[in-house]
Parts: sequence; C-alpha cells; structure tokens
Amino acid sequence: MRFVLCNSFALLLGGTALAADLKPGDLEFFEKRVRPVLVDNCYECHSTGKKARGGLLLDSREATLRGGDTGPSVVLGDPAKSLLIKAVKYVDDDVQMPPKHRLTPEQIAGLEEWVRRGAPDPRDEKTAPPSVSTIDFVAARAFWSFQPVRDPGRDKSIDGLVSAKLKEKGLAQVALADRGTLIRRVTFDLTGLPPTAEEVDAFVRDRAADAYPRLIERLLASPAYGERWGRHWLDVVRYADTAGDNSDYPIPQAYLYRDWVIEAFNRDIPYDQFLRMQLAGDLLETSSPEARRDNLIATGYIAQSRRFGVAPVMHLTMEDTLDNLGKGLLGLTIGCARCHDHKFDPISARDYYALYGIFASSRYSFAGAEKNNRPKDMVSLVTKDELERAQGPMAAELKVVDEAIEELLADKAAFKFESREVATKGGTAPEGKRWKYPSVKEYDNAVKAMNKRRFGLLDKIPETESAYGVSEGTPRNEKVQIRGEPDRLGEEVPRRFLEILGGQAVPADEKGSGRRQLAAWIADAKNPLTARVMVNRIWQHHFGEGLVRTPNDFGKQGRRPTHPELLDWLASRFVESGWSVKAMHRLMLTSRTYQLASTDRAKNLAVDPNDELLWKWNRRRLDAEEVRDSLLTVAGKLEPKPTGAHPFPAKNTWGFTQHHPYTGEYATRARSVYVMQQRIRRHSFFGLFDGADPNATTGARPQSTTALQALFAFNDPMVHEAAEGLAKRAKNDVVQAYRLALARKPSADELQLARAHVKKAGFASFARVLLVSNEFFHVE
Amino acid sequence: MQRRQALCSLMGGSLLMPAILRDLMAAENPLAPRAPHFPPKAKRVIFLYMSGGFSHVETFDPKPKLLADRGKTHDSRKGIQYFKPSQWEFKRYGKSGIEVSDLLPKIGAQADDLCVIRSMTTDHTNHSEAALGIHTGSVSVTRPSIGSWVSYGLGSENQNLPSFVVLAPYLPYAGSQVWASDFLPGVHQGTRVTPGPNPIANLKPRVSPEVQKTELSLLGQLNARYGKGRATDPKLAARVQSFEVAWGMQQEAPDAFDLSKETDATLALYGLERGKTQGFAWQCLVARRLCERGVRFIELIDSGASTSNNWDSHGDMKDHEPRARNVDQATAALLVDLKSRGLLEDTLVVFTTEFGRTPYNDKPGAKGREHHPEVFSSWLAGAGVKGGMTYGSSDDHGIFVADKRVHVHDFHATILHLLGMNHEKLTYRHAGRDFRLTDVAGEVVKEILA
Repeated sequence: MRFVLCNSFALLLGGTALAADLKPGDLEFFEKRVRPVLVDNCYECHSTGKKARGGLLLDSREATLRGGDTGPSVVLGDPAKSLLIKAVKYVDDDVQMPPKHRLTPEQIAGLEEWVRRGAPDPRDEKTAPPSVSTIDFVAARAFWSFQPVRDPGRDKSIDGLVSAKLKEKGLAQVALADRGTLIRRVTFDLTGLPPTAEEVDAFVRDRAADAYPRLIERLLASPAYGERWGRHWLDVVRYADTAGDNSDYPIPQAYLYRDWVIEAFNRDIPYDQFLRMQLAGDLLETSSPEARRDNLIATGYIAQSRRFGVAPVMHLTMEDTLDNLGKGLLGLTIGCARCHDHKFDPISARDYYALYGIFASSRYSFAGAEKNNRPKDMVSLVTKDELERAQGPMAAELKVVDEAIEELLADKAAFKFESREVATKGGTAPEGKRWKYPSVKEYDNAVKAMNKRRFGLLDKIPETESAYGVSEGTPRNEKVQIRGEPDRLGEEVPRRFLEILGGQAVPADEKGSGRRQLAAWIADAKNPLTARVMVNRIWQHHFGEGLVRTPNDFGKQGRRPTHPELLDWLASRFVESGWSVKAMHRLMLTSRTYQLASTDRAKNLAVDPNDELLWKWNRRRLDAEEVRDSLLTVAGKLEPKPTGAHPFPAKNTWGFTQHHPYTGEYATRARSVYVMQQRIRRHSFFGLFDGADPNATTGARPQSTTALQALFAFNDPMVHEAAEGLAKRAKNDVVQAYRLALARKPSADELQLARAHVKKAGFASFARVLLVSNEFFHVE
Repeated sequence: MQRRQALCSLMGGSLLMPAILRDLMAAENPLAPRAPHFPPKAKRVIFLYMSGGFSHVETFDPKPKLLADRGKTHDSRKGIQYFKPSQWEFKRYGKSGIEVSDLLPKIGAQADDLCVIRSMTTDHTNHSEAALGIHTGSVSVTRPSIGSWVSYGLGSENQNLPSFVVLAPYLPYAGSQVWASDFLPGVHQGTRVTPGPNPIANLKPRVSPEVQKTELSLLGQLNARYGKGRATDPKLAARVQSFEVAWGMQQEAPDAFDLSKETDATLALYGLERGKTQGFAWQCLVARRLCERGVRFIELIDSGASTSNNWDSHGDMKDHEPRARNVDQATAALLVDLKSRGLLEDTLVVFTTEFGRTPYNDKPGAKGREHHPEVFSSWLAGAGVKGGMTYGSSDDHGIFVADKRVHVHDFHATILHLLGMNHEKLTYRHAGRDFRLTDVAGEVVKEILA
C-alpha cells in the first residue's frame, strides 16, 4: 500500500525512489520486462530527440510520471487507473497504443505488474518537458498587420502612392482605357451586369468633366449594385440556403439574411455598424421595430455556421464560426488554434477557447437534422403577443415540451454514457445529481417521444415569421479542449478577445454571452485589422487582386501588402468617411490607376509579370454570376426582381436523412445571387464556373478554364436559349446583335464574317458564337 | 478534325501558334502530365467504392471464433452484445489459399492477385463522415478527394478526357463532396458520369457536326481578332485551347462509352447484356476503356445513399446478397480483363468501403449488423502490390485491429506511394498552410509492396 499512499507525492517530486534505492528484484524486473517493451514499442513516438506525441515522453522516470496532455501516464500501484495500461489494453477507442499493433498479453502483463509494484524505474535522466509553445506577444506585435494603422496623410492619393513605387523600379503605367472599355468595366464591377449599347454611346459622347463621376453615382444608386456587392460579402460568409448537416436540411428563412446583406450595401450601412449587427444585432438598442427586425435578421451571419452530423455537433460548428470570423472579419486563421497554439501567428489555444465561450453562450437557430427533423430556436420576428395568439392554447403545451427537452439534453450533457445500460460515470454532473432513467435506451425513447410531441404541435401551430439567427444562451466560460477533442478538457478560459488585439475581457458582471462586447472590439477603428481587411476586399474586387493578395490571411503565412502605405491610407479614409463602402468605391474608381487600359508592355512584363505594382488593369473572365446574368440580360430574359423565399417542401413533410438527404435546384430567371444554393451539394452551374464554395469562406475565387466549361458553351440549354433570345431581340440583324451582346458595332470585317456564317448556319448559331466568344466572357 | 487542325482554326486560319503562346498555355494547363516524385509502379487507379459499409466478417475476414461463440455475449461500450457468425461460409482460393466468403466467389477466384488488408480502421461511425474519410481523409471539414489529389499531382495523359472520372449511378453519402476538389483547382474535381445513354453533361452536340464545325471556325476567327494585341494574356489562349479539348471530348468520350465494338466474349466475361448502359458490369467495362485511354483516376461507386439498395444491411444480412451479385462477377472480370491486356501491370485496383459492420448485435436474434469503424477489410490489386497475400488482422471476433493497423491515412499514403508520390510532399498551399491528403499522419504500408 506504500505506493498508493505516496502516489501524489511521487507525482509532485517526480518519483522518490532513486535508482540506487531500487530493490534488486525490481531493477531486474524493469530491465527484463519493462525497458525492452518501452524501447521497442513506445520510444519511436515518446522519447527525447524523436517525438513527443500527445506531449508524452516515456524515456525517463520523471517524464513517465509527469505524463502528457491527458495527465500522468501511471497511477502507482493501480494498473486499472493508469492511462499507460488502459492504452496498451485498448480499453478506450480513442487511445490505443501502440497504434499499429497490440502488445502481446505477456508484455501487457509485465507492464501491469510493473505499475502494481509502484513503477520502480532506474532511469534517472532529466528530461525537459516537451516545449510548450509560448507566444511572445510583445515581439509578435511588431508584425505589420498588428501595428496600428498609420495614416500617411490626407494629402496623399492612390495614384501618388502607386506611382512612387513604379518609379522606384523605373516603370510607367500604360495608357488610359478608352471610354467604351471603361464603362463596360465599371458597370460590371459595380453591378455585375453589362452596360447597354445606349449607355455606352451616351457615356462615350458625354465629354463633360463630371461624366465619369456621374456614371459612378448612377451605378452606385442602382439596386443591382447591392446584388453584386452583397454577393461578394456572401462569398466571405459562405452563405447557403441549407444547413450542411449530413442530410443538408433546408433553411427557408436564410434568404432574409441574404436580402438584408444586399440591402445593407445598397443603403451603405456603415461597415462598423454592419459588423455589429451581424455579431450582436439582437443585443443592440434600436429606435424602431423595422430596425429591430433588421438587427435580428443580421445575426444570420453567425447562424450560417456549418452544421455537421445527424444532430448538432457544436464544437465543429463553433470552429466554423471562429474560422469565419477570423478569416472574414480579421484576416486571421483563428481556426488553427483549435487543437494547439497557432504555429505561425500569435493566437493561442486559450485565445480560441476564450472566443469559443462567447459563442457557446449563445443559442444558434437549428434548421433540423436527421435525428431531430424540425427546426428549433428560430428567432421570432413577430411580437410576443402575435406569437402567443398564433400558438393559442398550444403555447402552454409547447412550453412544457420545450422545457422537458431542455432538461433531457442537460441530463445527457451532464452524464457520460458508459453503455446502453449505465450512464453515471464522468461528465459534469454536480454532486448528488443522479441519472434517472432505467437505461440509456429508455432515455433515447424519452427524447424521441418528447420530440414527436413537439413536432406534432409545431405542425399544427400556424407559422409566424422568424429568422435563422442567434439569441442569448446560458453564459459560461469554456475549457480548453486538448487537441481539439471536446471530451478531453483542460483549464477553463474566461471569455475575452484575442490577446494580440488587446485581450479585452467580458466584464465579470456581464449577464449575457459577451457578443455585444466582441462586436465592439472588432468594429473598432483602433483594431488594426478590421478596416484594413475590408478596404483590401474592396480593392481586390476593383483591381483583380488585393493589396494583400491573401485577403483572408493577414498573418505570417499570408502575403505582405504590395503597397503598405496605400493600404493604411485607404483604411484611414474608410474610417474617416464613417466606414462608408460607397465612399471607398468613389475613391478607388476615380483614381487614374483604376482607369488604365489592360494592355501589356514588354518591359513591365519582364520586371513585374503579376502586375503587383499596378501598371495596368488586369483583364478578367466573367465570374459565374456574371456569365449567367449576362446571358439572361442580352436574351432579354432576366427577371429583375428578387425571388424571396425558395419553394422548399413543406416543413411537416421533412424527414431528410443521410440516406435520403434534401436536394433541390429551383429554376428561376432572377439574378444569380437569388438562386438557391445548397451547402453540401454544389450547384452544377456555379460549380462549373468557380462560384463561391458554400462550405467555407471564399476570399478570392479562382478563374479556371476547363473543357467542361467549353462543353457548356457548345451545348448547354442555357446558352442555346440565350442565343435564341438574342436573335429574337436583334430581329436577326448582325449589327443589332453586336450592340446587344457587346454594346458596340461590328467592324466591316466582322460584319462580313457574321453574315457569311448566318447564311450557312442560321442566326441563332451566330448568336451562340458571339455569346461564348472571349470578348463576351472577359472584362478589361 | 484533328486536334492540331482544330487548334489552328481556332487560332485563326493558317497562323502558326507562336512558341511563347504554347509555353504560356502549358503553364496554364493544370492537366498537363507531371512527373511523380519517384518512379511509379502504378500510372492510374481504379477505385471501387462499395457504398454503405460491407461486412468484413462476411466477405474477406473469416472468424471461426465467431461461429464457436455464436450467441455468447460481449460487453462493448454500447452495452451487452451477442456474437453473430457469418451467414456465408469461407473457402480457400488459389495457390495463396486466401479465404473469401461464398458471397463473393468470383472475386475469391482472383485471390492470387489480391492483397487483402484485414486491419483497416477509420474515424467515424456515420456514413457521411466515414465516406468522406475514405475519400478525403477528413471526417469533418471538407477536403479534396483522393482522385483530385492524384489528378493534381500527376496531371492527365489524355487531354481529351477529364483526369478524374467517377462512374456513379446515384449520389453517395455526402453527395458530390466525395469527388470534390475543394481548395484544389476546379479542373481536378471528379467528373461524374451517370450510367445511361448520356453519361457526361453537355457532351452531346445539340447541332449537327457541320454546323458545330462552322461555329468553331467562326469562334476561332472572332477570338483571333480579339486576341490581336492581347497575345500575352495566357487566359485567353487557355480558353481557346479549352474549346479544342471540348471538341476532342465530344469526339473521344462517346467512343470511350461506346461498348458496341466489345466482343461477345468480353461482354460475357463481365456479365453485361449487349446494349445495356447500366449496372456495375457496365461501370467496370467502361472503367477498363477509360484506363486504356489514359484517364488517371477512375472511381466506381456501386450504389448510393439509400439503405434499400446499398450495403447498409441493418435489417438483414441477406440484403448483402443482391449487392454482392451486382459487383462480384464484374469486379473479377475487370481484373481478368486488365491482366489479359497487360494493363494490370501499371493500373492499381482498389476495392473498399467506408467502414465494416459489427460482428455482433445487441439483440440475440438480430439478422442485421450495425456500423463498425473499428476494423474493416479492403483489398488492392495490380501495379506494385504483392498479390496473394493478406495483411494485418482483426482480433478473434473481428472487433478491433489485432495486428498491423492500417488507418485510412496509411491506406491513402500507400496508394500515393504506388503512384510515385510521397504523401508528405504532395501538398497544396491553402489558407496559409500546406495541406495534404493524409493530414499530419499516414505511413506507407511497405510490406505489401511488390
């Protein structure tokens, strides 16, 4: 019993029995039965100079007793409680060592006996604990993106800052684009649609000094502007109309968020306000019911987080929330810190779980999933009275059922399931709380029965308007999940902001989740990242590449800004303008640099082939939405109105499973931003033309060129219908077709070619060629 | 029309393509063949994926102890379980004497070419996640498919066909994510072919070949005019080239799917009725034809996500029978056919599933089996693999891996190795770090290499 008694001392002191004190029998036992087993089977991954998997070293007595991430590897005298023994006996699924093969029963028996004897161990060597990476935040702050924004001064300009860099390299910008090219460029950039021939003519003729600024104002005021720029934001927040669980449940309310984003760009809601609404709209003071409604809908940003599995798997959903918040709003890969401190950037695992706590304290709307196929926790958009009136006498019953379900879930969270029979061990159950179900199966049945009652009620209650968003949950701090595994918990971390960005804490007396504070910390002019990240995105969509060419990563692994001064100058103007996105457009679009032609110059190409110094405007292929919307436009078939809600199947029919998941593509002639897109099944058309990935944030879309796209051009009904529409609108006149499709007149030579073709193959055939030509498919 | 001719016409009549443009196009063509890290054994892969999870103890992993302990209890983490022996007997096949069950006798007859791995293990107990696991190595967030990685690593030997083709009658679990390229360039994503008369979307011209030829010619002339003064933009040239490839695909792909010239003997070998364009036999025969045409990665999915017609036999193991009947002869025929044409020497054939099935059930009389990620079986055959061997083992009852564990990451690392690629070096920079198919794990299973 001696060993059991000194157990805790042994851990503290790293073992008291020195080699010299070992009983001769123990020494021999260790050398014969233990050391060879450890050396042959464990040292590969758990010894100094090789690896320290799981933070565990087994090459000295001290290290063996100290253990790894999950605690000491042996409990002296008690093999059954020793992790080392459990691991070699393959007791748990998660820790089975050695991973490739099991030890023989004799080897295992030897280790057990060794632990039973008190793990006598002659290995005196001192082994330093595997280094716990400690981030040097002071040094980290020297990195450019964590430095405060330094305004180079209002008197500077885009063109001045760009020319300075070009001069250093002895390069000059190319000439300005002609006016026809310019109006096509700026119209696509601001609205995602081609200009009409009349618009082009008018602009080319308009020689007034303010013709161009007036053009910009007209486009910024068009509703199509929000549809284009809202889509850019939807890329960042990986918007989809389904939840992403393995049955991909539909979210009929998701479109409210989509439409709000579009409207927010059209109304030029200040970007800081735009962010605050999305992170904490439900917690903001409002002046009117309409504003309140918008605030609630805006929290759809958080609810959009990807769902997993057959029932909520919240730690993965949280990772997606934090991953998106990091890359999307701050240009930081926070998700990397889920399992360990970030390897490159100053973001610790503690930072990750400090933020995690804020979202874990919030309640996410739930769309439904295989094991619980009705929505839950939707954010009501009607008043309490209206809600109660709709629910009528069923309100009370629903409340009882909801509470019962809450309690069932809380019970499950509190107890760790041992088997189908017992669920008592472990978990977080407070002292005295007992598992009250006869078996786990009974528990499952109780959940099922209660859900069934709930579904019955839901299907009867007339639906009131709601949003897919978040509300406040139970505020709590989270524990670090060791190596990102939710059932291996480390220390608790109080909710706070990233240390590198200030580490502001959620006040101790805060009654809520802390989202309100988080929103303020992010949407803060002093935050060195928020404004920089957003102006960089705006720049990227106007110039093809950002000043930081990794728009979602402003960390060490990302690219450095090509024009740091310009980035800071823009960020300063952005904040100064009251975070007005439209002000940024005006600033960038009126620069000379934006108005450059797309021509090449051999000398420039040789020195700066990627145009990092901005000596020309880069020609680009139309993106997926522009291809579809342009085809519909020139065919005269574009439906200019939003689609509103999608025609999903009625909720009371929902029973989607991974075997029979939800799938749908709804035909529409509305703009592409309104097309229903599923999270886990990529829409066939948007997938083909590099549309946004609805699974994860898309910072920049690739521009691929594939044979399948060319097959689309040859044979897809979309192209054939557009060509027929164009032929009809042009009344089989080549000149008119050129004007409608390319907003210009054909040259004499083109006219001749076209007419010859029409004679041979018909007008629709000519129209098809025009619509898939390089000129139609590119903006320059 | 020949490819070169078509290209010339696209470039504008008699103009020769400037050398600089050709180089730019090669740089722009992500499907150009790329050299592996070291000399490969396999040039291409045929990946046979059985959807739903086939029972290891009823196919490739005989467990006499399960028979001896029939009905005896086992205390698993999920409570008391009752052992349930295989419903099919096992026989020894070939010189190697590998045991395969009567469910798959024709595959069994090819035992001397198979390397049966009986110690596979994966990370998730759900279909969708485990299906992603065997395809992408990740059971949670989406990652590129193994076929996309291979296409990215090696490019394609045939520019007229996609490099990664998936022959799938139904969407599997997790849908198209199992063949998605995710962050890899979109050209590496699997092109799904649905068995039937129109296997590839938009492949069938909607106008006569004459009209299309005229259209191509006009397109070439318009693009050539637009290209003047823009010759240094590789994007434009690449797009011109893509029409050439699409034209080639229209010519070549239908031929790849046209089985009319296959002999009666071949059709009989596969068990395919003449004129039929569906069923696993059709998929296998088309796979051989794609293989001949240099497609890099060909995946065949036998069924979909619907329990009623896949391997997910919870209700009754008898449901394995029609699934086995669907794949047994055709799979065996594929091996025989590849071998007789010398293709098995540089083609790797993989036969796998997302997880195994429990060797027990929680009710003594239950007829079906549940999901079992702890251990399952798969086999490899062909290029660079030792035939006629088994590797690794499960314990006496087929519950856990007993020896030589092969995690999905190890499996992937081995496949890449056979293709001449070091799985630790096949990386893609995304979101600030280098990603791999095998995440941060995976070891090549060296003992099975020929």
